[in-house]
Amino acid sequence: MLLSAEKVAKHFGSFRAVAGADVAVAAGEIVGLIGPNGAGKSTFFNCIAGDVAPTSGRILFDGVDVTGAPAETRARLGIGRTFQVPTTFEDMTILDNVMVGAFLRHPRRGEARDRALEVIEMTGLKEQAGQRARSLGTPGRKRLEIARVLAARPRLMLLDEALAGLTPSEVRRAIELVRAIHAQGITLVIVEHIMEVILTLAERVLVFNQGHVIASGTPRQVVDDPAVIEAYLGRGHGRPRRARTP
Amino acid sequence: MTRRGWVVLAAALLAYPWAVAGSDGAAFLQDMGALVLLAAIGASAWNILGGYAGQISVGHAMFFGAGAYVPLLVYQHWQAPPLLGVPLGVAASLGIALIVGHPTFRLAGHYFSMATIAVAELVRIMVGNWDFLGAAIGLQGPATGRGWYDLTFRSAVPYYYIFLAVLALLLAVTAQMQRSRLGYYLHAIGAGERAARSLGVPVRRYKLYALLLSAGFTSLAGSLYALKTGFVDPDSGLGILVSVQMIITAALGGAGTLLGPLLGAAILVPLQTATNTWFGGGGSGLTYVIYGGVIVLIARFEPGGLLELWHRRAAARLARRGRVRHAA
Repeated sequence: MLLSAEKVAKHFGSFRAVAGADVAVAAGEIVGLIGPNGAGKSTFFNCIAGDVAPTSGRILFDGVDVTGAPAETRARLGIGRTFQVPTTFEDMTILDNVMVGAFLRHPRRGEARDRALEVIEMTGLKEQAGQRARSLGTPGRKRLEIARVLAARPRLMLLDEALAGLTPSEVRRAIELVRAIHAQGITLVIVEHIMEVILTLAERVLVFNQGHVIASGTPRQVVDDPAVIEAYLGRGHGRPRRARTP
Repeated sequence: MTRRGWVVLAAALLAYPWAVAGSDGAAFLQDMGALVLLAAIGASAWNILGGYAGQISVGHAMFFGAGAYVPLLVYQHWQAPPLLGVPLGVAASLGIALIVGHPTFRLAGHYFSMATIAVAELVRIMVGNWDFLGAAIGLQGPATGRGWYDLTFRSAVPYYYIFLAVLALLLAVTAQMQRSRLGYYLHAIGAGERAARSLGVPVRRYKLYALLLSAGFTSLAGSLYALKTGFVDPDSGLGILVSVQMIITAALGGAGTLLGPLLGAAILVPLQTATNTWFGGGGSGLTYVIYGGVIVLIARFEPGGLLELWHRRAAARLARRGRVRHAA
């Protein structure tokens, strides 16, 4: 297993945002993480990426116990992540933003620049490379976040709603990008509300509710699971219609 | 900036004392030139931590003070040349930076700034009550030089060139930093710590690097001040105004830019000197009023400073020209 989270819990006071989640991800997988709002997906992500320390439980990355390791150490080990609300470096150019990521594996400026340009080309940001990040709209920013992480050569990428707020055509381009990333041998865990994205990309889906994993399986299996239907819609409902795309 | 721009700037700075030598107030103008360079050194040193890394320290007076006190201390107690105290001052500043950096960097944003004020004021009050360090009266350097090594000159011109050399060194170091991983990482930390961490930036360590670099050069600025003035007391060496001046100077020109601090100094120092001349002794209080005014103006109209304003104007002009060409 590339990533295994064992009984990970995160409590905020008496509120249990993540309550003993067990998640294992094999190298080369694309795993979708879904669940209603407030199910604990983002908090779980933050535990994996090292942004918050879990209250209890254990996180192993490629056999190494990283439970207490800070975010920068995990990035060095190969865990990359994007943020639900983009955190691009606004006053820096697109190229410089991506170079910050590239410097992790390429300490020399010239090599970092080459790596950054390569990633910028792949993510379709070449035209805007010299502009400041603040000039980008939401889709551009989300792409830039992906590019920045990619430049750091992660082995596991955590995408936190990287496709939310995009138009259908942008979503299609983003799906292609995610496929291209996967083709480079990078394992992906995707939190996404857009079911179309999950259904087309994920090989396996985990459903979060109230801090637990309540179901897992192929996208089709999960959508038909009564526990999942209940989590989304409450008791007494039939099979939900497929979630709408924006 | 282009290569030609650099050559012009360097030539202008080198020629300045010589160019004003013929005028009526030659000594006055040369002295002001030296003060501009000194303010630029202090602000550029602060800029490494406050501008690039975005950690607004309001306590840099403690490093300036260490740099100013130690050279005069070695003279006063052991009659050693003050020059000998310069590296000792830098060493003291680095020591203070290591001790202070560890706890204060646990704080973010305004809390960091407030903590640095508190520490610097603590140092000022301590020094002001410590007889070994001259207490409230302060320390004095050699009245007349015993040799070149005492660096006491009647004219401001030798100081001007010494300051210029140090500023050149500092700007070269900063320019090199800006292009390297260190510069990119500091910029990223300033722009968003959480994101920087997620990209593998060891935030605490790099903040400490920035602080050490910044403190070392700030200490140098303090030493140069003490060598030129031959005197330091708790207010002139460690007062909060010393820190504030560095911040305002850097912010006016453009914090986080290479030449912003120099630009800020070239505007603020003459302004200060002018108010002191116009209003005599009553003008010294006016310095605070000017600082306050500058803070309000920068915060309201251009948080990026004058260089940012310039870049935006240039970009807008370029865009307009592009549109015109497009239409044609």
